[in-house]
Order: sequence, then C-alpha cells, then structure tokens
Amino acid sequence: MGRPRSILVAFALAFVLAACGADEPTRTMGGEPPSPSPAADAFPVTVTGTNGSVTIDRRPERIVSLSPTATEMLFAIGAGDQVLAVDDRSNHPPEAPTTDLSGFEPNIEAIAAYEPDLVVYATEVGDLGASLESLGITVLQLDAAADLDGVYQQILALGTVTGHEGEAEALVGRMRAQVEEIVSSVDPGAGLTFYYELDDTFYSVTSDTFIGQLFTMLGLENIADAAGEANPYPQLSAEYIIEADPDLIFLADTECCGQSPETVAARPGWAGISAVRNGGVVPLDDDVASRWGPRVVDLLRRVADAVAAAEERAA
Amino acid sequence: MNARARTRAIAIGVVVLVAATVAGLLVGPARIGAGDVFRWLLALGRTPEGMTEQEATILANLRLPRVLVGGLVGASLAASGAAYQAVFRNPLADPYLLGAAAGAGLGATIAVAYGPSGVVEVTVPIAAFAGALVGVGLAYGLGRSGIGGRTATGLVLAGVAVASFLTAVQTFLQQQRSETLRQVYTWILGRLGTTGWDDVRLALPSVALAAATLWAVRRLLDVIEVGDIEAQSLGLHVGRLRLAVVVAASLATAAAVAVAGLIGFVGIIVPHTVRLLVGASYRAVLPLSVLFGASFLILVDLLARTVVAPAEIPIGVITAFVGAPFFVAVLRRSGRTA
Amino acid sequence: MRLERERAAATSGAPVALEVGELSVRLDGRRILSDVRLEVPTGSWVCVIGPNGAGKTTLVRAVAGLLPYGGSVRLWGRPSAELGRRERARAVAVVPQLPTIPEGLTVEQYVLLGRTPHLGLLAVDGPRDQEVVAQVLERLDVAWAAGRRLETLSGGELRRVVLARALAQEAPLLLLDEPTTGLDLGQQLRVLELVDRLRRADGLTVVSTMHDLTLAGRFAQRFALLSGGRLVAEGVRGEVLAPHVIAEHYGAAVRVIDDDELGWAVVPIPEPEP
Repeated sequence: MGRPRSILVAFALAFVLAACGADEPTRTMGGEPPSPSPAADAFPVTVTGTNGSVTIDRRPERIVSLSPTATEMLFAIGAGDQVLAVDDRSNHPPEAPTTDLSGFEPNIEAIAAYEPDLVVYATEVGDLGASLESLGITVLQLDAAADLDGVYQQILALGTVTGHEGEAEALVGRMRAQVEEIVSSVDPGAGLTFYYELDDTFYSVTSDTFIGQLFTMLGLENIADAAGEANPYPQLSAEYIIEADPDLIFLADTECCGQSPETVAARPGWAGISAVRNGGVVPLDDDVASRWGPRVVDLLRRVADAVAAAEERAA
Repeated sequence: MNARARTRAIAIGVVVLVAATVAGLLVGPARIGAGDVFRWLLALGRTPEGMTEQEATILANLRLPRVLVGGLVGASLAASGAAYQAVFRNPLADPYLLGAAAGAGLGATIAVAYGPSGVVEVTVPIAAFAGALVGVGLAYGLGRSGIGGRTATGLVLAGVAVASFLTAVQTFLQQQRSETLRQVYTWILGRLGTTGWDDVRLALPSVALAAATLWAVRRLLDVIEVGDIEAQSLGLHVGRLRLAVVVAASLATAAAVAVAGLIGFVGIIVPHTVRLLVGASYRAVLPLSVLFGASFLILVDLLARTVVAPAEIPIGVITAFVGAPFFVAVLRRSGRTA
Repeated sequence: MRLERERAAATSGAPVALEVGELSVRLDGRRILSDVRLEVPTGSWVCVIGPNGAGKTTLVRAVAGLLPYGGSVRLWGRPSAELGRRERARAVAVVPQLPTIPEGLTVEQYVLLGRTPHLGLLAVDGPRDQEVVAQVLERLDVAWAAGRRLETLSGGELRRVVLARALAQEAPLLLLDEPTTGLDLGQQLRVLELVDRLRRADGLTVVSTMHDLTLAGRFAQRFALLSGGRLVAEGVRGEVLAPHVIAEHYGAAVRVIDDDELGWAVVPIPEPEP
C-alpha cells in the first residue's frame, strides 16, 4: 500500500508549495509619505472601462497593474506610490515595481497573493476579470485605445480612480498642447509616403490602427493601406515596398528582430528606395510604438522630426 | 504505362515547370512587362535596354530566387512525400511523418527565442535544418529498438511519439518567451516572402542530392509495395532501402523547411494527383512528383502574392485550403478500395 | 538456350536441389520448427503436408531465407546463408499464400517486380527483362491483362499473375505456399497442371505446401508430413499419404482410392451412425 500513500504525500506537498510559492509582496517604494490625498473624500467614484462601469469605494493604495501602458499612465499622473506591483513587461518608468506577474498568462493566485485593492489590465485573458472579481478584487480593464482621445480618456479615468484628478487633467492638457504643436510643425499637404515595419517579414499596419492614424495626423500616406482592406496588419512583399518607393520607413522591429537603417539598406533591392537613399529610415522604440501611453507624444515628435527633415530635403 | 508514355509524361512535366517558372517571374506588384522579362532572361542577368536597374534588381534578387526556392521546396516535399508513402505503405504519409516538422519548429523556436536577434535570417534556417534532422534521427533510433523493430509501423509510431514530444517542448519554450510567438508563428505558416539567394544556396545541395537519390531508387519503391517479406524474397534489402529513403527524404525536407517554414499538404496532394494521372508505379510517380511538385508550389506562391495583393497570404494557408478537401477525397477513395 | 545454361550453372547439375538439415525456428519465444530434415531432388515436386499450425509456411519462409533459423539450408550444395539476398532471390522464388496486392499497379508492372534480383541497385529494366515478362505473361495466359490493374482481376487470374511474377525471377527452385487458396476446383486443377507443365518444360524444382491431400497426391512425387513443427513422415505417396499416417496426424479416418479409372484420391470415411 506504499505507492498510493506516497502519491498523496506528494500531492499535499505540491499543494503546500504552490500556496507558498508566490513571492511575499513587499513594498518597494521609498519611505516618503504619500502625497496629500486630494479628493480622498471624492470617493466612491465610478468610471467606465472596457469592462463596463467600475465603482471604486476607497482610494486604492495597493494597485496591481498588468498593463505596461497603464503602468506608465499611473506613474505619469503621480499615483506611483499607490502601485504595489506591475507585470513583467512594465519596464517604464524604471522605478516601477516590476514582478514576475504576467499580463499574457495571468496567474490568478499570484495576483491575489498581493492582496490588491485594484487590478488594472489591458487584455482579457481567459476569465481574468471575472476570476479576480469573484475573489472580491476590483478590476478595471483599459483596452488598447483607438485614438488619442481614447488615450486621454484612459488617463483621466485613472486620475479619477486614484484620486489624482488634477494631475491627470494637467497631463492631458500638456499632451494636447504638445500634439497640437507637433502637428502644426509639419506641412500636412506634403503627401509624403511611408512604410511602417512591424517585423522582418514585412508585417505592417494600416491607417485603421491606433499607431496608423497617428501618422495620418501628420499628413503621411501609408503604403500599406492599399493592402489592408480586410486586415489592419497585412503582410507586404519586398517587391511591393520597393515599387511603392516610400519617402520614409519607420522600424518598429529594432528590438525584437534587430533591424536598423543599416540592415535595411543591405536588403537586396532596397538600396534604391527613396527613404533609404535620403536617410529617411527611422528606428523607433519597439515598446513605445506598441503602447498607447503618455510617451506616444514622444513617438509623434520623433516621426514629425523625420517628416520635417524629409520635407526640407524635398524642398 | 510503358516507357514511351512515361517519357512523354516527364517531358510534359518539364514543360509545365518551365511555364510555371516563367509565370512566376512575370507576376508581381512591380509592373514589369513580359517582353522586358524575356529580354532580361536572354540577357542572362545583365540589364537589357529599356529596363531600370530597379526592375532588374527586383527580377534578379527577389523574383528569381523566390521562384527557384519555391521550385526546390515543392520538389522536395512532393518527392519526399511520394517516397514515404512507398516505404511506409501509407497513402497519408507525408514528409513530416518522422518528426521533421516538429524538430524544425523546435529549432526555429530556439533560434528565435534564445539566439542573437540581429541575425535571425541566418540562425533560423540553420537551426530548423538541424532540428529537422535531429527529429528524424530520434524517431529512427527509437523506431529501430523495441518490438516493432525496423518495421514500417514501428517507425511511424516512433515518429508520432517524437513529434509529440518535440512539439510539447516547443510550445513550452514559446510560452516562456511569448514575445517571440508571432515570429515563430509566421514561420510555421510557411512563407517565401523573404527568400533570397542565401536560401537557394542553403537548399540546393541537399535537395539536389536527395532528389537524385530518390529518383535513383524509384524502381525499388515499387518492390517494397508488396510488403517487407515478399520484397525480401525478391532480393531487396528492405531495411537498407527504408534507411536510404528516410535519410534522403529527411535531408530534402529539412532543407525545404529551413528556407520556407512548414508548408503542409504538398507531400500528399502532388504524389496522389500524379498517381491519378499515371498510375502507381514509382518509376513514373517519383520523377513526376519532383517536376509537378516544383510547378505546384511555384504556382501556389503566385496565388499567395496575387490574391490579396499587394499583401501576401502565407503559403501554408493556401495549401491547407486546397489540401483539406483533397484529404477527404483520398480518404474516400481508399475507403472504397480497402 | 541461355536459360538452360544459366540454370545448369546455378544448379551445377547437382541432383539435390534443396537440402534441409536440423532446421529449427523460434519465433516470439515459441519453437515453431524442430529438427526438420528434407531432401528435394532437382526437377521433382515435393509436397509438404500437415495439419494447420504444423509450421508449413514457416518452413517455406526459412528455406527462402526470410526469417532466422537454426540448422542448415543448402541450395544445390551451397549453404543458403552464404548467398547474398539477390543471389538467393535468383535461386529461389516464393509464391506466398496471401500475396500483398499493391494498389494501382498493372499486371505488367507487377510481374516486372520479379526481375528485381536480376537488376543492379540503380539499374532499370532492360529489353531482356521486358522480354522475359512478355513470355511469362504468354505462358500463363494473362498477356491479355498486361495493362489491367491488379484490383480488377479475379482470384484465379490473380494467382496466375503472382505465379508469373515468381517465374519472372527465373529461379530454378519454386516454393508455393498453399497455391490453391481461394480458387474453385477447376481453377485449382488448372493452376497445378500449369505448374507441373512448367516444371517439366523448364526443369524447375517445386516445393509446395498443400492442405488438399488428393490434389497433393496427384501432382507431387515426394511428400513430407509436418506435424507440431516436426517432420513425422517422409517418402513417396504410398508411404506418407497412407490411411494410418493420416489418421494419426490429422485425426481423420480416410480411405485411399487408387483406381485405374478414377485415379488416385483420399476420401474421408463417414463416422458410423451411433
């Protein structure tokens, strides 16, 4: 009868180990007192996230963020010290308390072990929202924004939720102003064409995507639009890109796939493309390009600089 | 089918291949006139009058290698499929039977997830090639031991076991590095979109060697159809033939997978179609599988880049669309005659 | 002419075509054959009989070198184990009881397989091979079916085609495992008569296993009775196909009829009414 018993022991052991497995949550923030909680009496508040109407009863002090974009937003509005843990992809700002939590493969138990009073996430994976709610945890889902207005809304929502409404509004105001200034710094009628590269097998984005319409704002024409009637992420062919001869090329695969202006120029047949000949190949930060947070302004500025330079050359 | 009819069929196969190659060179988003293409071909690579350097480069460095690789891959997969169907006496055997696909997928995943990121175009094909051979080697080694011995069934079962295991490892690694998922996924679907002369150089030696070997033993593939014991009584070294075929087919498959990802169904569609046309003797089926396999894939690639032009569909998707109903048809036929 | 010379060279004119000594076979741990001894004179027809499960098919396979065995098998004095696989296939042709019929092959392509032992590894069929196949198809009266697919033939026609493949090997020793399987009476007689004619015309040596004792007795010259993996009787018809021998090993009561008018036959005696 030894074998069944030892299996039982093994199970029990595994169970115990799993339960103790999650890291003991520790506050990694410095010892400074939290900023005076303005609007602590503004609670409870209700905001609308992707998961519908969410009511927060008390100002959250133990926020877990599973969305790198949400993390950036939270810190940008001054709510960083209310953030307990962020997922493994949240690498900005550097002081964010990164953990092993995954936003792609969320482990409900591990998240719950932090005893959060609010979980912010972007992608509904499995039953993430429902599972956390069944444990009594408040969840707020902020899916990928469709445009800049969507970004502003999310920042304001987070401001309301964390009791930093004032700072959130200020941030949004600054962003609007910066965007306006950037857009006006380029000539929208120049009609420059561009190719946006997602990876080294020529996947691109059309103007129907968030990042795509940012480019449209700057008056740029996307060569992938002709290819993406049904699919906002079409795969182009090298031949088409060469034939389309874009004035600018933006690389969003510098990290994942090691692409750079040099590797692009080395591709057979690419040396003759206008963008390559005129130094119009612009490497972008993979992370910034894949998020819709406050740094989207930086991205916009980078693109606008490239556009301005190209317009100057054309003049 | 007598020798004369066979020669005629092979001649037709060659003509079709040439036509497919020319069609492949003529089609593409860059509008290059047929006349220009022909003059370029005749000029043997130098830029003829009236053609821009750009156009010549597109032909020389994009379309031509793409068509060549398509042909090599198609020929490999079709010939390997036919040969495997012979030595395993199974109409549904395909080149990935003995774990070549799983091994290649694992190799590619390892290269993408853990290799240096800047040289993925170099590391992935090599890793996929090595992985495919490792997969087959494991299956063969496993299949030889045990009660099954070196029988056809034993090898197939070993192949299934190895493939499952390697796929599990691959899935696990992909989960560990989920940011690499999209890259590996696009590779798995099979594509010729990024082929260049490097791929031709990588694939050509293996494919040529393998195709030559399989072509040479086509006669013996007929003999093995009567079963291991009867084939032995006819003087055939069954184990040796099976090993030779597995080695040659795996080499060809590994090369194909390395440069083009996992393109499925070719190894089944082409040999069966050829059999429908010229009967079951491998003296005809093998050479024609090589020729029609090459043409088939070149034409499928043509579809892949014209159907949603200027976007591209992964080739594996198109062959799957064509392959699924094809499978049903084959199953019903063997069901009827079984 | 050339055929006879080749045959003579292969057989070195030896009087004993096949000599089996102390043959034993173990499969899956079970002993199938024990200490079997057999001598087959060149040009004769020896029939191996015995109840089901006696090991007749195993004996055929061992003689053809298709499975491992203990003891010795000599073909015209040469140990079979010394021969390469192809050389042995040029000496011994096997017609299996239940041949595997590959789908889609034509009769001609199938019979052509019999030429395999004569071709090199990478060689292709030459005109000589085509000639042999054509001749064999003629002799077995299946030339009309040359382009037909195997699946379209009847049982009797198929058996002749398989025999044709064996004959295409041009091997002087022919092993037939239950050659009458699946044939009606008329077809059975025709096949056996055909084999006998070929034997006499080409000087073939024939070893067959059969379960029909009457037919066996009518065509073969010598007999070997296998029972439980052992050779229990050997000799001419009168010695082996005798009622007491059959009764002992088949557990059946029979009478042997040897009549000038009726010919020779083994007839079961009905059980007496209780």
